[in-house]
Amino acid sequence: MIEMLDVWKGFHSHKSGAQHVILRGVHGRIRRGDQVGILGRNGSGKSTLLRLLSGVENPDRGVIRREMSISWPIGGAYGLQTITSGASNARFIARLYGTPVQQTQDFVEEFSELGRYFFEPVNTYSSGMVSRLLMGLSFAVDFDCYLVDEALSTGDARFAAKCQHMLQMRRQNAAMILVSHNAMHVRQYCDTAAILRNGMLEFYEDVDEAIAAYQGL
Amino acid sequence: MSDHVPRRARRGALSAQLGVLHALVLREMQLRFGQSKVGYLWLVAEPMMLGFGVSLIHWMTDRGLPNNIPVFLFYALGYAPFYMFRGILTRNAGAITHSMPLLYHRSVKLHDLTMARTLLEAAACSVVIGLLVVGGGLFGGYWPAHPGLFVVSLVFSALIGHGVGTLLAALIVFVEPVERLVHPLTYLMMPFSAAFLMLASVTPATRDALLYNPLANVHEAMRHAQWGDKVVSYFSLPYVMLWILILNVLAMAAMRAARPRLSMAR
Repeated sequence: MIEMLDVWKGFHSHKSGAQHVILRGVHGRIRRGDQVGILGRNGSGKSTLLRLLSGVENPDRGVIRREMSISWPIGGAYGLQTITSGASNARFIARLYGTPVQQTQDFVEEFSELGRYFFEPVNTYSSGMVSRLLMGLSFAVDFDCYLVDEALSTGDARFAAKCQHMLQMRRQNAAMILVSHNAMHVRQYCDTAAILRNGMLEFYEDVDEAIAAYQGL
Repeated sequence: MSDHVPRRARRGALSAQLGVLHALVLREMQLRFGQSKVGYLWLVAEPMMLGFGVSLIHWMTDRGLPNNIPVFLFYALGYAPFYMFRGILTRNAGAITHSMPLLYHRSVKLHDLTMARTLLEAAACSVVIGLLVVGGGLFGGYWPAHPGLFVVSLVFSALIGHGVGTLLAALIVFVEPVERLVHPLTYLMMPFSAAFLMLASVTPATRDALLYNPLANVHEAMRHAQWGDKVVSYFSLPYVMLWILILNVLAMAAMRAARPRLSMAR
């Protein structure tokens, strides 16, 4: 389970030194097997929320309790060494998280379907390829909860199906939190949804209801 | 389909920590030297070239050393350890700013970043220093008079470098321009560190002043370890240990203070 109690987070402006508050008292609870979509406009604090959930940054106020092993935020090129190859990143992740090195590399190579690019530097990849690598890397570690920051949005239909299969397979154990500005992705992957607006999180039991509310914003 | 998901091995806290360090050292090695087939050669060739170059210059210009100490070996064994110290210091100072993407992985702590860099730098330079020592022994018959002390002073030098470097890395998080001072600092440190200068050859007042610098103590100890009775040396190992302790405790505290200030959102 992951629990967020009154989580606040702000950033200092680099220019004026003023404090911009991004999250203003977020509450929430995610259980094993939950697949939660978090909808929010650009700049609403989705990525900030994921960084706090993953534990790489601390909230200014409030508590986040984690009783699951949580992935790093999967998106952008987070946590990647972009001047080395996909294969070398896979070996790094294996050593860091303690999975068998060769097995991990083979898994990522097969899952991400990068072909010969798997052995080329990541900074030569397209954004879709980076996403595929990231999804492969994170699925290669048996996390209890996957934090996905738009990484699923760049893949094609075939890759989406593959990810869905993988998540389905781990349904019993693994949770997923997907943040997106795109309602379609939330509908595709999630069974509950929440909207992040004005620095607060509103949960909806029903995905369609959440999407309707989101689109009415 | 890929239904066989790799499982994480159960690891204790210590082995998990060592696993993280292992991953970081290998990554660091690959980033710095792994881009080409002969890349790893640079690991040793880089300090070797500088060591030889500097020693060669001294060999050509020097007017000789007491007790027939060979000029080349003397300067090479003075320069190589200082090169290691400087390498550890500068690479540590940049450890946080140059590894931000790694902090996305929660198991990577700030101190792991600097420890990995210290380990790699120390290992590479130790190979070079080892080659110099063995070469001096085989070809000149100059084996270290006190090998144990030699190793200890080398480790001490690395620990001072680690402490100062880590402290600087944390300071840079608070005051960014500190980064600009690192390079001049390491250069200006050279005359005060007695890497080449025998403290027996300066006035007592200068000597006493220089001995406040723990690095000068380390270099004197190293000369004593290598040349034994051929040189007169002044050093205090407890004094050096005190510095190491203070520097590293301060560095750890500074790292703790720096962590909450770091944000990936850049």
